[in-house]
Amino acid sequence: MDLTPFLVQALTGLYKGSLYWILALGLILIFGVVRVINFAHAAFYVTGSYIMYTFYNHTGNFIISLIMAMVLTGALGVALEVTVIRRVYKLETIYQLLATFGIALIANEAQKLIWGKGVVYIPIPETLKGGVSVGGVILNHYMTLIIVAGFLLFIATILFMNNTVTGLRIRAVWRDPVMSEALGINTKLTYTLVFFIGTALAGLGGALTVPLISVGPGLADYLIVTAFIIVVVAGLGSITGAYIVSILVGVFSSILVLTIPELDIVVLYMIAALILLFRPQGLFGER
Amino acid sequence: MFLPPRLRVLIDGNIIALLLFIGFLAVIPLSGHRFYMYIAVLIMIFGMFAMGYNILFGYAGLLSFGHGLFFGVGAYSVALFTLNVYRDPLVGVLFSIPIALLTSILVGVLTLKHGKVYFAILTLALSMIFWSALVKLRWITGGTDGLTGIPKRGVLVDLSAPTTFYYFILVFFAAIMLGLYALNKSRYGLLLRALGANEDRLPFLGYSTFTLRMIALTVSGVVSALAGSLYAVFYSVVTPDVAYWTFGAEPLVMSLIGGSSYFLGPLVGALIFVSLTTAVARFAEYWMLLLGAALLAMVLFFRGGLLGFLESLVGGLKLGVYRRWRF
Repeated sequence: MDLTPFLVQALTGLYKGSLYWILALGLILIFGVVRVINFAHAAFYVTGSYIMYTFYNHTGNFIISLIMAMVLTGALGVALEVTVIRRVYKLETIYQLLATFGIALIANEAQKLIWGKGVVYIPIPETLKGGVSVGGVILNHYMTLIIVAGFLLFIATILFMNNTVTGLRIRAVWRDPVMSEALGINTKLTYTLVFFIGTALAGLGGALTVPLISVGPGLADYLIVTAFIIVVVAGLGSITGAYIVSILVGVFSSILVLTIPELDIVVLYMIAALILLFRPQGLFGER
Repeated sequence: MFLPPRLRVLIDGNIIALLLFIGFLAVIPLSGHRFYMYIAVLIMIFGMFAMGYNILFGYAGLLSFGHGLFFGVGAYSVALFTLNVYRDPLVGVLFSIPIALLTSILVGVLTLKHGKVYFAILTLALSMIFWSALVKLRWITGGTDGLTGIPKRGVLVDLSAPTTFYYFILVFFAAIMLGLYALNKSRYGLLLRALGANEDRLPFLGYSTFTLRMIALTVSGVVSALAGSLYAVFYSVVTPDVAYWTFGAEPLVMSLIGGSSYFLGPLVGALIFVSLTTAVARFAEYWMLLLGAALLAMVLFFRGGLLGFLESLVGGLKLGVYRRWRF
């Protein structure tokens, strides 16, 4: 039996999983610290894609466009946190979900208005055009970049959270906002900061997606569901868990496409549902 | 009033408004306007969907993003049944009820034990499983093209005349609305509202939160599926779109617009939503933008919905038409 197609799919799954991870990380940070389930998170991700597309078309510089996509998406996130999200912190969870759902609807339509209903994509940068051979399969440099970037982001997040003062403050607010406030941590500022980090990460993920997958309306609707499933299966709040589950979902879904193309997504969702049935707190969550 | 007390409690502003509305719907075909009848049928179908949805959302306080699943189960079961088993719309619609019942119980077992946030996410995931199954199982469901040719003229009933069909829908609409009203007035209606108001206290009073939530989900699921099956007969076509989660979020928006804590709120919401989308969709492609903005405004400023807003305007004037659940 020739295993080459499986290897191809596994490598594809690795880069897809890495992109899912970048999406899920922002969602977890925002949920963990700000305690708001951000329904609009995938909308921020796609916004990052569009900003990347616009800047790349004007400047032709990949790095600058990437940075702009991150910063502008993060700025947008902060603007929304200050004007809308901040006002629903004290309300029931249902209203927080609804507010972010409203933002997601607005963002999706606004994107259609600004960037049209067609799909957009940009070419892979010249320097990353080649590829390396992995077991007889050519792995595109750009995909390697994403896989490595995803892993580095994972290491960086763990280091940042565990070894810096800001990370310590964020963890404190994550654990106990009231006590943190009493100890002099500016929780309001922390919320805004985390919202910035979360949405900027979404922007980064979105920007990295455009050279690989054409981005268009409807992508956010699909992505947010995948991101939710990853976060819930990993256990709400587990960063390491989310990385592992993202990669697993990416690889597993890519291989399923190959083996049972009729039911790939169905099987994936079914597995997720079964995991939750027997382990409601998620694979890596604490009870 | 010369009514015995047991009957007298059943009469309030809600039922009077409801009966007036049903009477109004009953005379619309007399105008002979096909367009008004079309709008009215949509209002009835989405009214049922939203009222069914609100049993869960407004009464039991559970936010579901997966009601497209139930709507889709209803629509697809009537389509598959009439096309493959027995060619009759009435039997098909009735057939969707037991299917919806089983689906609701299955969904309930999977989702109800983990708390409210999980419920929202899990219903979303389940409806996406169903949606992708509809898209992928092409040989059964027709894939993205869906199923066409659901008959209006069957072995037992012939609904091909628009007026006949209109009254067919109206009968279901009236029956469901009166049924929901009776539920609202019954002990279980009160218990379900208690679930939304303070779920921690119910176990102290000897009630199982899980059972009550299951009842809410089942009623909600069956009513939504009925709306879905009527929708399928109405258009003679079903596509997987009805099971997509964005479609399932529409009754949520309707409930919020009307006021989810009022019995008639979702119906008022459906009336506004259907009228607006039919009117606005003609000249504006991007009405979802307005919808999102309206949703946001509702959450930030008018959490009581339109009925709540009206009540705050005419605060002293308690007509009893609008009644609050939450205190």
